[in-house]
This record gives sequence, structure tokens and C-alpha cells, in this order.
Amino acid sequence: MPQPAHNIEKLDEHLLEVVRALHGAVKQGVSHSNEPKVVNDAIADCKEILDVIMAGKVSDWLN
Amino acid sequence: MFSDKIELKDVDKMDPEYKDLLGRVLTIQADCEIGGPHLYVEKMLPAAPTKLDQLIVARTAAEEVDHFRKVARVAGDIGVDVSFVLSQPNEKRFVDAFRGLITTWEDNAVFGFLIDRVGRYQLEEFYDCSYLPLQRILPDIVTEELGHIEYGYNKTVELLSKGDEQKERVQKAIEYWYVRALDMFGHTGSSRAERYRYWGLKRRANEQARDDYMKEVNPILERMGLRIPDPLKGRRYM
Repeated sequence: MPQPAHNIEKLDEHLLEVVRALHGAVKQGVSHSNEPKVVNDAIADCKEILDVIMAGKVSDWLN
Repeated sequence: MFSDKIELKDVDKMDPEYKDLLGRVLTIQADCEIGGPHLYVEKMLPAAPTKLDQLIVARTAAEEVDHFRKVARVAGDIGVDVSFVLSQPNEKRFVDAFRGLITTWEDNAVFGFLIDRVGRYQLEEFYDCSYLPLQRILPDIVTEELGHIEYGYNKTVELLSKGDEQKERVQKAIEYWYVRALDMFGHTGSSRAERYRYWGLKRRANEQARDDYMKEVNPILERMGLRIPDPLKGRRYM
């Protein structure tokens, strides 16, 4: 078997959590589309999560 | 032509060229998956025209992050660490289309309509490929990419219904992305593409995939009342 890349397991788990959190926030916003505060909060949550991912500081996520 | 099917446990027994090409194609695929959100999240998440569109931008980014995760896992399992692409500046992306920033809603719509469609073509190259762990992650990824393409198409149609000025803005976006889409298929007669095919990692020659794409996209553009850009103007990979 090949030697797996360092941290692949932790990265996979972390990104899976991120993806679940994003889908959760989107679902919350879409299902409360007539409640502006809930929608705005959901968008803000998505932005906060995605900003961290876009910054790409992998070592910070995993340590 | 190599016609065996390979599992993770077999990788170490494979020819070094196979391992090299598999690692390379997974790295580029991972870069393309995360390259999309890096293009549109910064400007489009806050500026999408409706709250629902903002949420859909976030959902699309979430799906692309998940695609990255799946590809990174397949690469990581064979010892190829692709995590560096998560922090790669846009100008260093492997594929030209992902260098830059999307700053208008027209570009965002056309990107989904044209570039995510190339993404679908790239993924289709791996259908029935020789590396089974790669084959297994494809169905869910392709289903989500189809959703991105449809959303991009619908938003483009919506913009076209808003009058001549808006139509010209869409046409401008088409002119920009169409040539980048064609370039994404790579050089005609590429010797590396030939090796990918030899090892069963891709199905079509670059020029054939590009030709199939044009045969699919050009009639759609015509039905939308848009001009088909010159397929040679501004191209970098012929």
C-alpha cells in the first residue's frame, strides 16, 4: 500500500465538518426565506466559514 | 493500451509514469475544484442580486470545497499532498480560467454556464478510468456540477431578458469565458494527453473533447440569441 500523505485524514475530517456547517447554514437561510434576520445571519455564517477556507491556512485548521 | 483496473493497494506495483500521471491529474483537478470558489466567493457572496442568490453562491462554494475534499482524499491516499492548492494565489492556478477574480454577476452566471460545463467534461474523462478510487467519487461530483451548470444557464437567461444593454454585458462575458473554456482542454496533439489515454486515465484526445464541447455549447448560445465568439481569437492553447 502507498504511504498516505501527511495529515490527509485530519484534513478530510476538517473539510467535511466545514461542508456540513455550510450546508446547514444555507438550509437554515433557505427554509426561513421570509425571516430577514435568519437569512442575514445564515449568509453571515456562510461568509465567516468561507473566509477561513479561502484564507487557506491549513496548518491553523489542523492544529 | 492499458486496460486493467487499479485499486489503491495496486498503486505501488504500477509503472512510475502511471503514478506520476495519476498524481498530476488529481492535483490539477483539486486545484480546479477549489479554484472556482476563489474566483467568486469574495465579490459575489456579498453582491449577488438576491438573498437567495447569495445562499446559492455559498451552497455552490460548499459543494466545490467538498469536491476538493474528495479529490484530495484520493490523492492523499496515494501519498500525493494537494493541500498546497488551498492557499495558492489565483494567479498561480494550473488553469488560466481560474486566474483572476469574478466581479460581476454576468461573469458569475456565464462562468457557471460555460466553465463548470468544461468541469463536467474534465470529470467525464475519468468515467470508466483505470483508477477505481477516482471512478467511485465521480457520480456525486458530476451531479452537483450539473446543478452549477443549470444555475449558471438559468441566471444567464434571466439576465438576457432584461434588455439590450444587459444582453451586451452578457455577450461581453461570453467573449471572455468562451476562449478560456476552449483553452481548458489543452493543446491539440498533446503528447501528455496521449499518455493519459494510454494508461486509461482519460478517454478522449484534447481536441476531441474540445470539439464535443463546442458542438454542445454553440447551438445553446445561438438559441439564446448570443453571438458565438471566434474560437481562435485570444486562445493560448491551440
